Amino acid sequence: MLSEALEHLVRGIVKHPDEVVVRDKQLRRGSLLEVRVHPDDLGKVIGRNGRTATALRTVVNALGGRNGARIDFVDVDRRR
Amino acid sequence: MTDQTTEQTAEQPVDTAATQDTSGATGSDLAAERIKQLENEGDIAADYLEELLDIADLDGDLDMDVEGDRASVSIVGGDLDKLVGRHGEVLDALQELTRLAVLRETGERSRLMLDIGGHRARRRTVLEGLATDAVEKVKKTGEPVSLQPMTPFERKVVHDVVAGAGLVSDSEGTEPKRYVVVRPAS
Repeated sequence: MLSEALEHLVRGIVKHPDEVVVRDKQLRRGSLLEVRVHPDDLGKVIGRNGRTATALRTVVNALGGRNGARIDFVDVDRRR
Repeated sequence: MTDQTTEQTAEQPVDTAATQDTSGATGSDLAAERIKQLENEGDIAADYLEELLDIADLDGDLDMDVEGDRASVSIVGGDLDKLVGRHGEVLDALQELTRLAVLRETGERSRLMLDIGGHRARRRTVLEGLATDAVEKVKKTGEPVSLQPMTPFERKVVHDVVAGAGLVSDSEGTEPKRYVVVRPAS
């Protein structure tokens, strides 16, 4: 649910919603939500002084309650 | 440093558009056009929020309105405390994201106001009380009174009460510790 909520929140604010992909990675210390966006949208999801990224984290962690997740933002060019 | 002017341009008084209907034909056309824009903002915001509630499996009804020169959307009903958060921090974050969603659709910055579970409405009442008390104290003593740190929305409520009472106020300190100082009329 958290990754779906995050995906919706991000898709609604970027220029290239179809290129938004959120992956839920289970790490030893809990989950990591990795948000991939079009390179042109990376600045948008981070925002000035990280303001938008902070807002996204605040909302997602509120929805997740005790199962909070870390959130990383990367652009789609950074493939591994 | 004072940010009162910026706050007041960014957060205009709420009763401007309400009176525009009575102006001339062009004025009222413009006002009608503006209200349509604001209603459109409310619709975009509501779509964005409704889907979030759906995904999170939260119950809530959305009310859209135009208050003065801004769109307002309230989510009511259900157990929405977690969407408000401590000191309304989740509410503020959600409002920020909703404004960005509106900007994406319209190409224009939005000053849309989001409320959840009546949080802002209740907070406004409390703040108006605090501001009134501060005004009384300043009038009695002639000395400035500093209030607790507040969010921009909260400071705006206080500035409005102070201006209404004929005194002056400005904000000092830096976010998130920015606070209002109420001063005697100069």
